[in-house]
Amino acid sequence: MAYSTFAAIDIGSFEISMKIYEVSQKKGMRQVDYIAHSIDLGTDSYTKGKIEQERLDELFGILREFRKIMKTYRVEEYKAYGTSAIRETVNRNILLSQIEQITGIKVEVLSNSEQRFLDYKSVAFQGAKFEKFIEKGTAIYDVGGGSVQISLFNKDNLISTQNMRLGVLRMQERMNKMGASMRQYDALIRELAQSQLSVYKKLYLKDKEIDNLIIVDDYISNIVAKERIDGPSDNVFGKETVERYLKMAREYGKEHIASKLSISESDIPPLYISLILLDEVMSTTGATTVWAPGVTLCDGIAYEYAESNNFLSSGHKFENDIISCAMQVSKRYMGSRKRSETLENIACRIFDATKEVHGLTPRDRLLLRLCAMLHDCGKYISMQNLAECSYGIIMSTEIIGISHKERMIIANAVKYNQLPFEYYEELSSHESIERNDHMRIAKLTAMLRLANGLDRSHKMKFKNVEVEIKNGNLNITVSTDEDIALEKGLFGNRADFFEEVFNLKPVIRQKRSF
Amino acid sequence: MKNYDYSKPEYYENRELSWLKFNQRVLYEAENKETPLFEKLKFLSITASNLDEFIMVRVASLRDMENAGYDKKDIAGLTVTKQRELVNKAVHEFVERQYRVLNEGIIPKLEENGLKIIRFGKDENVLSASDRGYLDRYFENEVYPVLTPMAVDSSRPFPLIRNMSLNIGALVKKKEGSDGIEFATVQVPSVLQRVVELPPGEDGVRRVVFLEDIIASNIDRLFLNYDITAYSYFRITRSADFSFDEDEADDLLKEIEKQVRLRAWGEAMRLEVDAGIDKALLTKIKEELGLIEREIFKIDGPLDLRVLMKLYSLKGFDNLKETKYSRPQEYPYIPEGCDIFEKIAENDRLLVHPFQTFSPVIEFVSQAALDPDVLAIKQTLYRVSGNSPIIAALAQAAENGKQVTVLVELKARFDEENNILWAKRLEQAGCHVIYGLVGLKTHCKITLVVRKEEDGIRRYVHLGTGNYNDSTAKLYTDVGLLTADEGIGEDATAVFNMLSGYSEPRNWNKLSLAPLWLKDRFLFLINREKEHALNGEKAHIIAKMNSVCDADVIKAVYEAAAAGVKIELIVRGICAIKTGVPGTGNNIKVRSIVGNFLEHARIFYFENAGSPEYYCASADWMPRNLERRVEILFPVVDARLRQKLRFILDTQLRDNVKAFDLLETGEYVRLMDHPDHGRNHLASDAIDTEERVDSQLVFCEKAKKAVEEAYGSSNDRVFIPRESQSN
Repeated sequence: MAYSTFAAIDIGSFEISMKIYEVSQKKGMRQVDYIAHSIDLGTDSYTKGKIEQERLDELFGILREFRKIMKTYRVEEYKAYGTSAIRETVNRNILLSQIEQITGIKVEVLSNSEQRFLDYKSVAFQGAKFEKFIEKGTAIYDVGGGSVQISLFNKDNLISTQNMRLGVLRMQERMNKMGASMRQYDALIRELAQSQLSVYKKLYLKDKEIDNLIIVDDYISNIVAKERIDGPSDNVFGKETVERYLKMAREYGKEHIASKLSISESDIPPLYISLILLDEVMSTTGATTVWAPGVTLCDGIAYEYAESNNFLSSGHKFENDIISCAMQVSKRYMGSRKRSETLENIACRIFDATKEVHGLTPRDRLLLRLCAMLHDCGKYISMQNLAECSYGIIMSTEIIGISHKERMIIANAVKYNQLPFEYYEELSSHESIERNDHMRIAKLTAMLRLANGLDRSHKMKFKNVEVEIKNGNLNITVSTDEDIALEKGLFGNRADFFEEVFNLKPVIRQKRSF
Repeated sequence: MKNYDYSKPEYYENRELSWLKFNQRVLYEAENKETPLFEKLKFLSITASNLDEFIMVRVASLRDMENAGYDKKDIAGLTVTKQRELVNKAVHEFVERQYRVLNEGIIPKLEENGLKIIRFGKDENVLSASDRGYLDRYFENEVYPVLTPMAVDSSRPFPLIRNMSLNIGALVKKKEGSDGIEFATVQVPSVLQRVVELPPGEDGVRRVVFLEDIIASNIDRLFLNYDITAYSYFRITRSADFSFDEDEADDLLKEIEKQVRLRAWGEAMRLEVDAGIDKALLTKIKEELGLIEREIFKIDGPLDLRVLMKLYSLKGFDNLKETKYSRPQEYPYIPEGCDIFEKIAENDRLLVHPFQTFSPVIEFVSQAALDPDVLAIKQTLYRVSGNSPIIAALAQAAENGKQVTVLVELKARFDEENNILWAKRLEQAGCHVIYGLVGLKTHCKITLVVRKEEDGIRRYVHLGTGNYNDSTAKLYTDVGLLTADEGIGEDATAVFNMLSGYSEPRNWNKLSLAPLWLKDRFLFLINREKEHALNGEKAHIIAKMNSVCDADVIKAVYEAAAAGVKIELIVRGICAIKTGVPGTGNNIKVRSIVGNFLEHARIFYFENAGSPEYYCASADWMPRNLERRVEILFPVVDARLRQKLRFILDTQLRDNVKAFDLLETGEYVRLMDHPDHGRNHLASDAIDTEERVDSQLVFCEKAKKAVEEAYGSSNDRVFIPRESQSN
């Protein structure tokens, strides 16, 4: 049987872990080993922006060990990601190249939304249980050290995702700063949490009914999984369990709790904070059932690998989640659904017809669709400064599943849809961007502009659009009986940019039915 | 139902006193008329070596506690001082009984059977001139060169007397001058055999003398310028319970090497001297060592009865040794030369040692070392034998490029020196050697082989109740499971990750680990039986292990018994549980088997309302196992293997030859010797049968039968040529 051995490494703020998987089409993914090592990289990184040498040496040591273990398992491919602790170092690039030099492991850095998306993927890959769970109103509550992320589902589609700075370790840090004792945690943390959660509720939750919560975290998932005296736990629990743990945390000393729950004493304050926060989130959302699938970022990394190598596919369509999220954003800013659909449709046709010349990937096609959906969101703020406002909205709205870089590509393409295109030297003078990404922006902008030009009057005049390359031209045949003088008239300057980018001259033809 | 508070001390037995009772049971075997004469030597020798260890560790720790002003009472409600008093009394009585057995029960019988021990000062006149010549030459050539006599005077301090060494102490006076009496001492060299056999006499009687007697008879020659006014043999037992601060010790290996050297000079705990020792001489030694009266043992016979093992090993006398227990038999499911991984993948395999050979376990590691598909071998080693084939295989595996991780427990008491050697050798071969964990002893016995097979990684695991020691595997009863079960394989991987310093995984499948939650697991299993009993369901626990002294577990056992759970315990050594405790009715029965092999397996059966569960473990119900050691409890699920375990338990409960039953009075009695004892209180239900059941013998037969069944009777192995049909 053909299978490949894959290693996923997560360099987190307080722990480095590696999971080894066997991935095959027949059997899917099988976790073979899980190695985790506690190391506090976060404190240095968050407070000083750099990780101390001593800590780095420890990090290198662990990664070298990981490399040995990979070798033992004859791992063929691996993916190593750093999260916020690495992300927030000021000398990130130096650090990454050092790690690679010393340990031979190439580490990439995940943005918050990429990281959350991988977490989410690992949950979604739990299969039937996940699909069953999201039949009812469900939120994924993903708890990190610095922030928490709440993602909402409507039927089986993800509709919104919000990040709040309520991370467990951030809270603990705050408590320490205030000099609060564990006794005071309850009141203080609830107050801090409520101030953010009530806004969240007003803006995003509204009257959505949430029954289920899927929690991804390090502390609660851990103790729930350990309730195994009577066989393995199914990791599903209710409010009474949360209250039972809270009661325990309030009434007993650290030593007792640590031994009862088989955790180390230093994990008790963050556990207690996690419990209080979960209790608040449950109250805010009204969720009554919690599932802690116990997945980690490593699982998400591996699922992504397995998926992109066609070893397995989840029944769940992740692309739809991204699109439905974008749709929610568009809706929030009063975008016209019909119009974006028309634009999206035309843009995709152009994309598909020019496959041979543009050299872009299916992922870029998704970005193009997102551009189409969000191209006019800025008009909600100002019709005059549509481009700048759209850019601003896109850059500060989190769409789960797309990376920071991708978000920047979308925002720029949307901006240049209206404003004059900035060439690389110009753009890179005020934005950090790589040359090939700039090229992607150019290509997407060209397509978006062209598509937009075909629907200038926003009246969706074109029922049917056919696009083909012929004799160095891009022939666009539109079937409509309406007058398209406006479109034709304005087509010229939009077509110029397309021609500049693709060396294809767009030509518009009208096909009438009478 | 009346509620009793089962945490009351009156329901518990003190562990030291209970241990002493165990040693009495061993001693009983030296008294037992059914024991072959030479086996009596062996049992007596074992009691002596057991007692040495007890003094060095337990008595020493009591004294340390007393010196430290520790005033907490033990589970039986005894203060440290009271314990010392009781223990001391019991030890004195015990030693008297040992020598009574030797002098009255064994030595005369040895003579009857043609072995004479000649003691100087007693019966050396039986020696002929040629015997004396022989011994003189022996002394001159072999002994004298290695002796180091030492005299004590104002310029030479009292020498350090090595722990457990045998010495001759003397009061001496300079031949010239008017100097007073001085003390002198010489160690009986441990490099020489203590038992020296004389050339056979004319009557064919074999004769031995002890090395110390040979030296003593030449003592004048050791202190040439002195007159010897008195001399006596003496032996010191020192405290060996060393402790050190692991956090402070940068290099554990070095620290332990150092401590081992220091052990020879621990505080003196016991002094053994000849019964007729000169008063002044005794006072001198006693004062120098800072001992008090009750720590002195006046011995009527040879000091250090471990010497009897040397007599046991004398060539010949086979008719006086035990022969009915067969040698370890082949394990027929894993025949020599088979692909062991294939056999394990087929089915879980249960090995029952020493009735079945240990070689499949060795084979497991050595095949893994050579197999190109094996990626990694991981193993815990606690006590290994000299020249261990397992160590050799592990070293070879590392040389073959496999990832070999070995946890060598340096803190295995009295084996430290040995273990350091192995650890170094393994490191040189390229193994990743872990020297135990800070603050915990790694006592679990687990081996993991990771193999890359056609359809993915497959893990093979051996889990045992006994050490990876091919020598003791011939003497200790243990069970071992070989399995390719995925859940156990994953857990085993997690165990080694933890032992390597990585974090605990979130989920465990099948194994329960101490010190994490094994104790809770046991409490859960016991309480579950209690619940079943209260619900009117079948509830029954059978547990076989070496020691029971954890107060929480015992309390749970009492409560379960009070709820109606039938509890049968087979406990070889310390047992702090009592029988006949109020409210528990007749539900708790305790027996102890002391047989030809050392009972060592830990097997647990829980009825669980008709869906029984079977487990084996490396741990006893002792706080040290459950709280301060890494231990593993593993389930046995295969129906055939469960039957095997049940057979072991049932047979031991039926044993009426080697089993002792614990009475309400706290006494242990052999059924055979007390045919009309209040039967209600005896553990076995099958007592009335006329059939003699010696469980270890039954297991020997069973192992032989398994081989026969697998291969047919031995005749089937002879090729029968086909004859011509035409005749």
